[in-house]
Amino acid sequence: MATRDAVLGYGAAGAVFLALWEAAPRLGWVDERLLPPFSDVAAALGAMAATATFWQQVQLTLLETLTAFAIALPLGALLGVLVQESRLASLIFKPLIFFVFSIPKSIFLPIFILILGIAFWQKVAFGVFSTVFIVMMTTFSAVESVREDQLRVARSLDASTMQKILFVYLPSMTPVLLEAVRVAMIFNFTGILLAEMYASREGIGNAIGVWGLGFQIKELLAMVLFVSVLAIGFNEAIRYVEAKCEHWRN
Amino acid sequence: MPRMTEAAASIRKRHGSPMSLVGPDHPAADAGKTLEVRDLDHTYSVNGKTTQALKDIAFDVSAGRFLSIVGPSGCGKSSLLMMLAGLLTPSEGVIAVGGRPLTKPDPTRVGVVFQDASLFPWLTARRNVEFPLFLRGVDKALRREKAEEALALVGLERFADSLPHELSGGMKQRVSIARGLVQDPPILLMDEPFAALDEQTRITMGDELLRIWEKARKTIVFVTHGLSEAIYLSDEVLVLSGRPGRILDRVVIDLPRPRSLDMMAQPRFAELREAIWHMIKA
Repeated sequence: MATRDAVLGYGAAGAVFLALWEAAPRLGWVDERLLPPFSDVAAALGAMAATATFWQQVQLTLLETLTAFAIALPLGALLGVLVQESRLASLIFKPLIFFVFSIPKSIFLPIFILILGIAFWQKVAFGVFSTVFIVMMTTFSAVESVREDQLRVARSLDASTMQKILFVYLPSMTPVLLEAVRVAMIFNFTGILLAEMYASREGIGNAIGVWGLGFQIKELLAMVLFVSVLAIGFNEAIRYVEAKCEHWRN
Repeated sequence: MPRMTEAAASIRKRHGSPMSLVGPDHPAADAGKTLEVRDLDHTYSVNGKTTQALKDIAFDVSAGRFLSIVGPSGCGKSSLLMMLAGLLTPSEGVIAVGGRPLTKPDPTRVGVVFQDASLFPWLTARRNVEFPLFLRGVDKALRREKAEEALALVGLERFADSLPHELSGGMKQRVSIARGLVQDPPILLMDEPFAALDEQTRITMGDELLRIWEKARKTIVFVTHGLSEAIYLSDEVLVLSGRPGRILDRVVIDLPRPRSLDMMAQPRFAELREAIWHMIKA
């Protein structure tokens, strides 16, 4: 019942948003050159989707994004657990991690370009850099969410360290880690697109940047629409899984 | 070890029987199903300050007996139970189960039920009960069979596939009892298992526990701060003093079984309660 209401809610919000987007330029509320009606943008997206270049760009960006994610997520989670579980490491590294987290990552982009150039691995490296701190910070709270009484049960059953990690720590941490996955993907995607916009010859970010400079608003918005759907889709999928294991948190 | 003999002497003095694996009340009791605590002391230090928690603790429990441990808050009764579970190492002394020393948790010899049911919320009732067997690598079919037996014993066979958050507090604690019993250990330790439940559920659970105990024929060591609960459930009540916790007395509860709620209104019940209350208060 709740799911059906949610779906109806999403549908209604989407319909209102698209109707406003369609109406505003047509009724002259906004300049059509800056905001073309939704139907025009959708048509442009359709035309783009029929070209091979579009899918090449999408493929490249997704590959960069997923590669960075596949590095940042396990790395951040591992470092997060190690730091949180060691008193000394907590004392030394936690403040540092919080400091670095609060600095906007984009200001480091030129340094990444100086060191790594403007190809694939520069995007991945910057994506990892943008993501790994938020993963570590979420992992801290994930480790804290493991309940002492459940660990004691495992101890009373003479569980090995590996068994405790696999069958108590990991499932306990899953709800919070899913949140980490969700939020980290936003940071990660942002990092990759920014790196592509700033210095690249290919990829979605580059295309958006180029269209912006060339005043090709329809194409630009078409790509924005595409990226938005992708990002929202990923976010909502993880949120769905998160809701499924909400009761694990007690 | 002079301390050992001293403790032994104090036991003899108190109970008029020599230390042995088999308790005086059960001459034919199975030697493999008893708990012995010898000469146990426990001190711990926090920030360089040393505190003596338990002193000269020595007792044994015969097979199939229901023993409660009571005492004022902070007397170390829960610590004592954690030691019996192998979760905490006493500074000095020996704990033996079935004649063999217990130095680390061994769920095949000692099952533990904690105050909070402490079920894993991501596992169904059955899988929670299977968990101890799963850790030991018991195969799936046998695990399932044992878990279902244990769930039937606590009267929850119909809720095998429920997740903990779908169960009431009393039901969760019954699943936790089933988990403690699934490996058929001779001893079940219970640390204030009903403290978090409401009054009515607590009374129902007490009767339920007695039913399970009579059917499973286990030795139960039950820590509680409720004197009525201790008297109602137990064969014997071990009374501890305030810190450092020492054994003040071991009171035999001579109320007939099966127990029923109206016994609480009997003069003998009030007498026992009064006697224990005075010991603790002093």
